[in-house]
Amino acid sequence: MEVGLSHFLVVSTALLSLGIYGVITRKNAVMVLMGIELILNAANINFVAFSKYGNFGLEGQVMALFIIVLAAAEAAIALAIVLNIYKTFNHVNVDEIEDLKE
Amino acid sequence: MEMNSLYDSLSLIAPELIISVTLLVIVLFDLIFKNNKKMLPFLSTVGLAVALITQAGNLTDGGFAFSPENTPLFYGMLTIDSFGAFFKILVLAASMLIIYFSSTTDEVNESFDRLGEYYTLIFGMVLGMMFMISASDLILIYLSVELLSLSSYVLAGFSKNKTRNNEAALKYLLFGAFSSGLMLFGISLIYGMVGSTNLTALNNFLQTGSINLFTITISLILVFAGIGYKISSAPFHFWTPDVYEGAPISITAFLSVASKAAGFALLIRFIRVGFVSYVDSEGFWKLSEVFDWQLLLVIIAILTMTLGNFSALWQDNLKRMLAYSSIAHAGYMLLGLAVMSDQGVLAVLVYFFIYAIMNIGAFFIVMLIANRIGSENIDDYDGLGFKAPLLGVSLGIFLVSLTGIPPTAGFIGKLYLFIALVDANMIAVAVIALLNTVVSLYYYIRVLKHMYLVKPSTEPPVIKPSFNNLIFVLILAVPTIIFGIYFTPILDFAKQCVQFFGV
Amino acid sequence: MNGFPILTLLTFIPVLGMVLVLLMPKDKEREIKITTLIATGIQVVLSAVLLMSYDYNAGGIFEESSFQFIEKFRWIEITGLSWLGTVKIDYFLGVDGLSTPMVLLTSIVAFIATLSSWNISKSLKGYFALFLLLDTGMMGVFVSLDFFLFYVFWELMLLPMYFLIGIWGGTRKEYAAIKFFIYTLFGSVFMLLVMIGLYFSTQETLADGSAVFTFNMLSMMDPANYTADGILSPFNPGNLRFIAYIALFVGFAIKIPMFPFHTWLPDAHVEAPTPISVILAGVLLKMGTYGILRISYPMFPEITKDLMWYIALFGMINIIYGALCAMAQKDFKKLIAYSSISHMGYVLLGMASLSTTGINGAIFQMFNHGTITSMLFLIVGVIYDRTHTRGLDDFGGLANQMPVYTGFVTVAFFAAIGLPGMSGWVSEALVFVGSIGEEITRILAMISTLGILLGAGYMLWALQRIFLGNLKEKWSDLTDLDGREYAMLVPLAVIIIFLGIYPSFMLDIMNTSVNTLVEFVSVNVSKFTLSGL
Repeated sequence: MEVGLSHFLVVSTALLSLGIYGVITRKNAVMVLMGIELILNAANINFVAFSKYGNFGLEGQVMALFIIVLAAAEAAIALAIVLNIYKTFNHVNVDEIEDLKE
Repeated sequence: MEMNSLYDSLSLIAPELIISVTLLVIVLFDLIFKNNKKMLPFLSTVGLAVALITQAGNLTDGGFAFSPENTPLFYGMLTIDSFGAFFKILVLAASMLIIYFSSTTDEVNESFDRLGEYYTLIFGMVLGMMFMISASDLILIYLSVELLSLSSYVLAGFSKNKTRNNEAALKYLLFGAFSSGLMLFGISLIYGMVGSTNLTALNNFLQTGSINLFTITISLILVFAGIGYKISSAPFHFWTPDVYEGAPISITAFLSVASKAAGFALLIRFIRVGFVSYVDSEGFWKLSEVFDWQLLLVIIAILTMTLGNFSALWQDNLKRMLAYSSIAHAGYMLLGLAVMSDQGVLAVLVYFFIYAIMNIGAFFIVMLIANRIGSENIDDYDGLGFKAPLLGVSLGIFLVSLTGIPPTAGFIGKLYLFIALVDANMIAVAVIALLNTVVSLYYYIRVLKHMYLVKPSTEPPVIKPSFNNLIFVLILAVPTIIFGIYFTPILDFAKQCVQFFGV
Repeated sequence: MNGFPILTLLTFIPVLGMVLVLLMPKDKEREIKITTLIATGIQVVLSAVLLMSYDYNAGGIFEESSFQFIEKFRWIEITGLSWLGTVKIDYFLGVDGLSTPMVLLTSIVAFIATLSSWNISKSLKGYFALFLLLDTGMMGVFVSLDFFLFYVFWELMLLPMYFLIGIWGGTRKEYAAIKFFIYTLFGSVFMLLVMIGLYFSTQETLADGSAVFTFNMLSMMDPANYTADGILSPFNPGNLRFIAYIALFVGFAIKIPMFPFHTWLPDAHVEAPTPISVILAGVLLKMGTYGILRISYPMFPEITKDLMWYIALFGMINIIYGALCAMAQKDFKKLIAYSSISHMGYVLLGMASLSTTGINGAIFQMFNHGTITSMLFLIVGVIYDRTHTRGLDDFGGLANQMPVYTGFVTVAFFAAIGLPGMSGWVSEALVFVGSIGEEITRILAMISTLGILLGAGYMLWALQRIFLGNLKEKWSDLTDLDGREYAMLVPLAVIIIFLGIYPSFMLDIMNTSVNTLVEFVSVNVSKFTLSGL
């Protein structure tokens, strides 16, 4: 069986779904962030796959590189903020961080 | 890319370059003169002023910057046009106001040794917004949104030792990263269909290519999630009240005006360049029939303004109340875009111009009062109006203007919005928006009620703002009245700017 | 009078006064009051001057050339909008027989309300500044002939009124103030929508021959100016004129206030300080009926014609309902407030008849109600200042204690009842003659005559409870009127009696215009119903 575009798309959709599931169900901020990373990587797979199978030139691959860099930057900032949260709240449970309420 | 075209491109983005250079100067200055933080706001203002002047001188220039090699002539990463110029001027002017705003905010100045980072990050945001406004390629759209977002996450949590700052930053980050992730996935699908990330290519594809309706709908909704989050439209608005209340107030004001302006510019350009097949003689846009933007936007706009207005009714914290009010205003402006005509865009431009003035003004006065009484709670405002007459009257002007009652500028914004709606025969929608205005009166006037009508239980403190702060308030309050009576300048300015290059 | 901007001065003298007041230091209380008095005094003088050079034969209504004291400048002009053409808004002022009585009324009432504000002590400076702003708003509404300008003035009054009731009012002032504000804003947002709709349906031809959309009220009255596809254009088969008429009418009806939109009025009156009650009853209520005559009638003649009966019906309900409510009141001020609702019903009834007599009566009644009710509220204020109570049953036998006061009260009460010889009688008689004369409103008008009976009932009953009987011990040291109170009450009493004896003084001012209006409406009914063809 030849691996084609649709295989890649199945993988990326699965990753997206897992990512969304993670973001919605996880209470730990770090786990939520991992869900977001999954979503980004799902998009990444799409870009590379489309670029390869659609003969669209290198635009998609370039985009993937950008995303990898951005994901790293985002993770750095996110972890810094989570660290700060840990210092003030002594936990990183998203559901319990709710001082600001109506 | 040839050198020549690169040079051309660079000259087109002179204001952005000036902002980048200023950013670097601030970083270096902060490294070298560690203890001279007083100069930072000054440096920032100079950088912004130069950029503003450059931009204002370039109001009508049009062109594509950074066209990739081997592409048709009309493809560029950036589109420089007068529509973008309007929003850039708005963003730059708002940023200048915010720089002064920040320099008087106690919340910011408490973290003295980190002020360098503060101003650097502000410039990061400004740069992100400027690129967002001109971006006509999905790659650049995503990158600029992220540049803006990453800087603003940090700024929302700038005071590290404050619980509410931290919470705001975390919520902003989680919502933001999630929705921009979704947007990215949507972009990847569009790329898969179109074969290019350029908006003009998307437009061409929609008019000629074979289209899978299901995929395009999914991908556009995902993209809208990312943009909707930036302009805090329902149902992506949940972060707004928490972040606006938790973040330092200068950042709140900045997010509610500049960041939202960039988001709107992005959304308008996205639809205008990506979907409009042609514009008829009356100025109405004819869209590709693959996706009913009008329906989506009308529904979302009504949801946004109604949710914003009704939630604002119950708020006791003024910052939070203004957060909901800014959600409601995003709803009004979305309605302007939903008209899908040049006139609707004109209404959005006029509205935004006025909204920026009055909203920054309102936040500034809340900040001045919070600096003095240490609270943003409406109950602590009892009787304040008599103790701080000028601040009270100015806040009154801003709030009345936010409601949209003549003779304040806010009325002109609303007027042009409704003119656009009536012109497009969207009467029912206009009625809903008008009823929303009546609802909004209740919570805006509630602030004035506490300031003037309610008898305070304890003697309210006398608030004497400094001379500079008074001037700043007047700079915002006087135009709010003047533009309400004589609004030709705003319209003349906005009218020139409803032009998109290359479409 | 050519070139002398008398209407601009009339409108903006108070703003000038406001600026002066704001510039004065807080403790110069006397100077602030006198400045206000001078500003409103100049208004009275100016309106007297206006009356002296008034042309009694000019009709106005729809024709720019027969309006008087016209001032017309381009206010906003934006060209180069390819899809909208030129946007223009005029600063367009002028008076005719409809507005002149209202201008007179406004300046008189404002002047007297200033006098009655003399013993305001709380934040005096703010009070008079807001008062003067309110004055500008009122005057502006009556003199503007551009819808946009009209709307700006209309809304300009809301905020000062909110604060004047809210800060200087009684115990439930916050509730009353916000109720007033929300009600009125609710009405005016619909007016805004109709205004924009009319804007997009009418085009005015400029001097250079180009046609542009316009806010000019007079252009909106001419069927020839309507575009073929405007949403409020009679030539558009799918037009929304009927809905627009109702929306506009509701906006005005709230101000009148017409049943069932009246509930803000008793609250606002009871909580407002005396001078503000005077302004509210004396001038603000008239803006609703004035708006209907100035805007609804000539711009929507065909619908007006269709709805005559309904307008009369609401007039009748107002008359009877207001009178019955007034009868049930124990609070003097509330009684007057409800009597206002009843009396404004006569205005509606007269207008509904669409006859010269009826509309003459309606406008005359607007003026008379303004003066009579102002006097009644001042009377309540006088007694409230002395006793700090307004309960009708708290008094009794005041006639001997305060004879002069009782004399003025009797004049006002009899005028309100409509006793011959007083101004109220003439206008009510005209209203009934007009409305009974028209077949369509005849029965409703006949039922409405009950209102006169009821009016006499509650007024006389109140008179009896307060002034006759035995004087209560605690009121034995009440003093009679002082000089300032004379100054407030005497002019009003003189006007009331003078117009009762010589009503032509006022009727002559409006007669030509009313004739023009009635004729204009009947002629244009057919021109505006082309859509049915």
